[in-house]
Amino acid sequence: MQDVRKPMGVNWIGLGTIVRREVSRMMRVPIQAFIAPWISALLFIFIFGFVVGGRITTIGGVRYLEFVLPGILMMNIVNAAFLQSSSAIYFSRFIKFVEEILVSPLSYWEMIAGSLSVVVLRASVTGVGILIMGLFFGATHVQSLPLFLFWVVSVSAVFGLLGIIVGLWSKSFEQLNMPVVFFLTPLSMVGGVFNTVAMLPSWLRWLAWSNPFFYFINGIRGAMIGVDETPPGLGAGLTLLLVAVLSVTVWRMYAKGYGLRE
Amino acid sequence: MPTPALKITNLRKVYRRGNVAVDDLSLTIQEGDFFGFLGPNGAGKSTTIHCVTGIAEPTSGTIEIFGLDAVKNYREARRLVGLCTQEFNVDPFATGRQIVDWMGGYFGMRAAERKARIDYLMERFELGPHEKKSFRELSGGLKRRVILARALVNDPKLLILDEPTAGVDVELRRILWRYLQEINSDGRTILLTSHYLEEVERLCRDVAIVNKGKIVRQGTKDEIAGAPGGLEEAYLAVTGAQAEHVAGQ
Repeated sequence: MQDVRKPMGVNWIGLGTIVRREVSRMMRVPIQAFIAPWISALLFIFIFGFVVGGRITTIGGVRYLEFVLPGILMMNIVNAAFLQSSSAIYFSRFIKFVEEILVSPLSYWEMIAGSLSVVVLRASVTGVGILIMGLFFGATHVQSLPLFLFWVVSVSAVFGLLGIIVGLWSKSFEQLNMPVVFFLTPLSMVGGVFNTVAMLPSWLRWLAWSNPFFYFINGIRGAMIGVDETPPGLGAGLTLLLVAVLSVTVWRMYAKGYGLRE
Repeated sequence: MPTPALKITNLRKVYRRGNVAVDDLSLTIQEGDFFGFLGPNGAGKSTTIHCVTGIAEPTSGTIEIFGLDAVKNYREARRLVGLCTQEFNVDPFATGRQIVDWMGGYFGMRAAERKARIDYLMERFELGPHEKKSFRELSGGLKRRVILARALVNDPKLLILDEPTAGVDVELRRILWRYLQEINSDGRTILLTSHYLEEVERLCRDVAIVNKGKIVRQGTKDEIAGAPGGLEEAYLAVTGAQAEHVAGQ
């Protein structure tokens, strides 16, 4: 018989079970989770490498495809992370099986860490797949693997946490898609995927500097091909700050039961 | 004085739109009891259970499970509880075995321990031939069995059953009754809500009747059901259903 007075330590098995369950859910839709972003990246490589790239000599001192690919990779990481966490939490609320977690002896940190682990896993598999394709077609290289991994993990954590917030807030599938349509896609498109800041009119450059995607894209571009338009450390610091702020926000939402408890 | 399995003191639950679901409800269930929690639809039974298990947030009042505060020490308290929900709140694409296995995992059970326990429950509830089917492919009765197995996977000291036999066939009802009597005689505490009064009369030792969020009658089953008309008459009298029934005739 278990000692009921003994405080629980970290529930590693519980945390691992959240990961197992989410991986199982993710593997039910492998085309949506992995094949779609890989095909989309392949098409980008074809278009920017052979169609558009043939007409543009260099940008930022590198081939156009080399310049664009890190941004495409980052856009796919952002989408994978956000969709994984927002759909997982919303689906579990919609069907009500989130109650399985609520009645279990899991701390809020364990619940969040379990969900985020799968987010990072999905985003990493997506990102590494695109990287391998880029390497195969000679479209990129990796200047710094630790930095590459830092950007993949930290940015997927940011958007995984944002996805949890949106998943808890949404009351319909329409609301769940709103942030993708109105924020993620537009901000990533104007975040320096296809152009350098120098190519923008001077009165519009503030828009790039104030767009967080600009730092994420430049960060991973620096890690991959060594081209980074942001001051050293600024992007990494901003990203870590976002992870910290969003983690506390999500923890508070869980602790208050926002969107979870009646 | 032994520590009660469940002690609810002045529980109040007001939903966001101002609906008072539970109002100043106090209840004590001793360890080893088989407790019937009765009341009409919307009386506050499920809300009370949800507050005990963490699905709902109490507005005020305290809940202790084996002396552990269900809000402050929620992790330790929840280790001791198994909940069989009224609704099928599961991932419908998962198999019955996965659903039970994941629940065991959330409770920190090791793989070998889970396997042994799940094998036992699958056999006990005759789920073996269906364990690899997705939940949505199962019949209503089989779905109910999966929900029951999920509630029992951690071998809880306090088992809470929210209308576990609603809509199930006689066979499952008898399997379940036998099993509940068996684990209760082993010392497990059971809180049962049901609309089947004969089920409560057959199984429970103590009974509370709740109406409009308040306990309106509480005592041993023998006290309440012993009066002329039995449990049904007592239930109708305290819930006001009798007056309405008579007036409608």
